[in-house]
Amino acid sequence: MAVEDSSITSESATVGLPDTLWVHLSLVVSIVLMGAPLLLALLMSTQSTAQIYDVTNLAPGGHALENYQSALFEYDLARYIVNSFVMSIIVVVGKVSLSLLAALAIVYYDFPYKDAIFAFVLLTLLLPVPVRIVPLFELMADLGWANSMLAITGPYIASATAVFLFRQHFLSIPSSLVETARLDGVGPIEFLVDVLVPMSRGMIAGVSVITFVYAWNQYLWPLIVVSDQQKQVVQVGISYLQSASQAGQTQWGLIMAGSILALSVPLVVLVALHRPLLETFALQQK
Amino acid sequence: MVRDIRAFDDSRAAAVFLAPTLAVLVLFLYYPSFETFRLSLYETLLLGQQTTFVGLDNFVTLATSPEYHNSLFVSFAFAAVVVVGSLTIALFVAYQLYRVDKWRSIYLVAAIWPYALPPAVAATVLLFLLHPNLGVITHYIEMIPGVEFDWFTNGPLAFGVLAVVAIWKQLGYNIVFLLAALHNVPESLAETSRLDGVGSLTMLREVYVPLISPTLGFLVVMDTIYAFFATFPLVDLMTSGGPNGATNLLIFKLYRDAFEFNSLGLASAESIVLFGIVSILMLAQLKLTGEYAHYGA
Repeated sequence: MAVEDSSITSESATVGLPDTLWVHLSLVVSIVLMGAPLLLALLMSTQSTAQIYDVTNLAPGGHALENYQSALFEYDLARYIVNSFVMSIIVVVGKVSLSLLAALAIVYYDFPYKDAIFAFVLLTLLLPVPVRIVPLFELMADLGWANSMLAITGPYIASATAVFLFRQHFLSIPSSLVETARLDGVGPIEFLVDVLVPMSRGMIAGVSVITFVYAWNQYLWPLIVVSDQQKQVVQVGISYLQSASQAGQTQWGLIMAGSILALSVPLVVLVALHRPLLETFALQQK
Repeated sequence: MVRDIRAFDDSRAAAVFLAPTLAVLVLFLYYPSFETFRLSLYETLLLGQQTTFVGLDNFVTLATSPEYHNSLFVSFAFAAVVVVGSLTIALFVAYQLYRVDKWRSIYLVAAIWPYALPPAVAATVLLFLLHPNLGVITHYIEMIPGVEFDWFTNGPLAFGVLAVVAIWKQLGYNIVFLLAALHNVPESLAETSRLDGVGSLTMLREVYVPLISPTLGFLVVMDTIYAFFATFPLVDLMTSGGPNGATNLLIFKLYRDAFEFNSLGLASAESIVLFGIVSILMLAQLKLTGEYAHYGA
């Protein structure tokens, strides 16, 4: 053993760096590289158009307030952010509620064709939006939903993944709890609200983060189904900023400000709730 | 695992609880998907006002269209580059996160944040930073003698730029899953197979990669689907499929055929091809997850 240990030490010594230092160094370099475009965007969001066109100028420009204000109010990004926020919250609340109810039925009830119904739910994984985009668009027109909040939330409020995850979680809850509830004559909704939901807080938080980020980042569907600019979401809204120009020069500082704003909301959600997210992903893997 | 706990008996109540989910799935997922199949057999004219049954003509058109062949090729090549690039980098970062002795949670958040990065934002930011005339990164790249970084006119360069953006955005997702997989490797298993005196990267390649291969397989499938579908904003905002079709991914071509050229029947046929690709990928993943469960037990 001692011989082997010394051989490892001498090997890493020849590299020149202790192993732990190498780990830290490579992490710092990776993280800086991954974060660099964002930091540059943040920096440029403080520059005036003239400063931007001076390409090598990497000093903070002092025009942050102007850029962010103009993006938010002159170019209506504030409205798009509110639209995105309302859309994402509706999708999160709708999807979590519907999926909790569906998982309750699948785990705690016995009914005919249960496996077939569960398979019917799971098979929708094969049907992402691009597979049904043309008829879905026509359906929205037929329902009179074009340009409405219904169009950008309705098709997203049921999900195979969420039903699957809640089902997995419910199956891991001790059956003694269920027995107790049954003996006490607790009704299903009471059981869901008083027992299952408190025991699934982490899972609900995890599914909520995944859903929120997913909804917030939607681009293709709102682009197609929302043509009224007032009703648009922020991801498509930042492309409207590209028309912002002064004397033929694109106002990239303003566009970068808009990009930072469009990213900040899901970023805050992720940082705040990364623990339940990681736990949910760990379960998804099993 | 406990199954069929059967806390409640009234199966009508179960139907009520399932109804909202099933209604949404039928109305917005199954029904439009069946409609796609039907529409793919029709030719639509006059902004969809007039439709004619044409059988498999739309599929014949696709099979014989050089433009569609190009999109197929570009999409698969793009998926390959994105999957390999993103998984390689993510594997390295996840391994270092797994091994690091302190500040782990700070490093973790700083490494997985691209999970929250909207593709449209990633595209807009890099469109500017890599802009052939104005981009600060372009400026430094072009300081290399003889290099001209004009990806607005150079097809392979545009393809490369798009791949870099797609890889960047997908790193967070991959790191999360790979880190979880590394933590699931039993300590003793890694310990017994520890090779004497080898470098840490050899350990990663020889010991850890085979042990987490089910997760890698899962991610290959998820990243391929991502590269096919979620990259639409990148193409739309950065290249519009050009130059000369070099970045005309299937999803972008489908969008234009449907919503710019109003060829709804042809676009539906393209949707069916995508459905075929997703089905094959998902089937592969189902097989992999099955194996994963076996490995876990």
